[in-house]
Amino acid sequence: MLIDRGYTEVRPLAGGLDAWVDAGYPVEELSE
Amino acid sequence: MLHHLIELILRYGVPLVFVNVFLEQIGAPIPAVPTLVVAGALARNGQMSSTHVLAGALVASILADWIWFLLGRRYGYRILRTLCRISLSPDSCVRETEAYFDRWGMKSLLFAKFIPGFSTVAPPLAGAMKASTLEFLVYDAIGAFVWAGTAVAGGRLFHKAIGKLLKRLEDLGWWSVVFVGSVIALVVLVKWWQRRTFYRQLRVARVTADDLKAMFDRGESPIVLDVRTRGSRQRDLRRIPSAIVASSPEEVAQQLEQISPLSPIILYCT
Repeated sequence: MLIDRGYTEVRPLAGGLDAWVDAGYPVEELSE
Repeated sequence: MLHHLIELILRYGVPLVFVNVFLEQIGAPIPAVPTLVVAGALARNGQMSSTHVLAGALVASILADWIWFLLGRRYGYRILRTLCRISLSPDSCVRETEAYFDRWGMKSLLFAKFIPGFSTVAPPLAGAMKASTLEFLVYDAIGAFVWAGTAVAGGRLFHKAIGKLLKRLEDLGWWSVVFVGSVIALVVLVKWWQRRTFYRQLRVARVTADDLKAMFDRGESPIVLDVRTRGSRQRDLRRIPSAIVASSPEEVAQQLEQISPLSPIILYCT
């Protein structure tokens, strides 16, 4: 969908949020 | 050959149905519907009992699903990602399964078995979402009954046509095995090739957590989109700092209005 709208530099994060958390990088709380 | 297969179904009827349904529901690429349909047709001819076939299918299905449910409860989303990796469907399956669950809740178990891929992924997802065991078993049992019942009823209804088809395949002898085997092999090969191509493209395009952190450290400020489903975000209220939340395609479109097409975009799920 993003690429269809002309966004050429779209990349998924391998492993998603879990990979980011497992690597020990900071996260912030959502206010939902 | 088919003559032997029918003999096998007649001799080991219910245990064979049990093993076939269990293996399919546990994730093996062995479809159980043809066996259920043939068993239904044989039951219509008075050679088997529909009730016993249904009972065998029901117990096997619930048992396999319960194992996945417990694994989901214990290992959470990790078990889902493993399942999606070994399935022949593309790896968006975790998100798609979540979307069904967000929309229908436990009721999605009622029709899960009719959707390829969703059938095996739905029970561990219910476990990962910490659903009540009793509620899971009730919905899963109804879903399994409707699924197996439809196949057996189909077999009973079209028993004449199925009998003719089996007779024709039997007349072909070993060629029928070669034909059916070739069709199955071709389907698996095409799916495998699609998945291989998909993963190759994805591997080239993906960024790792270390890559993203390095981009932040270099001050590149990529746009980070949190595209998890609403339910998934409610279960885990964390996000990557400054990530923009957009669950549905409409929300993504809305957020895109403020983003230049030249901006690098990183998106993530769970």
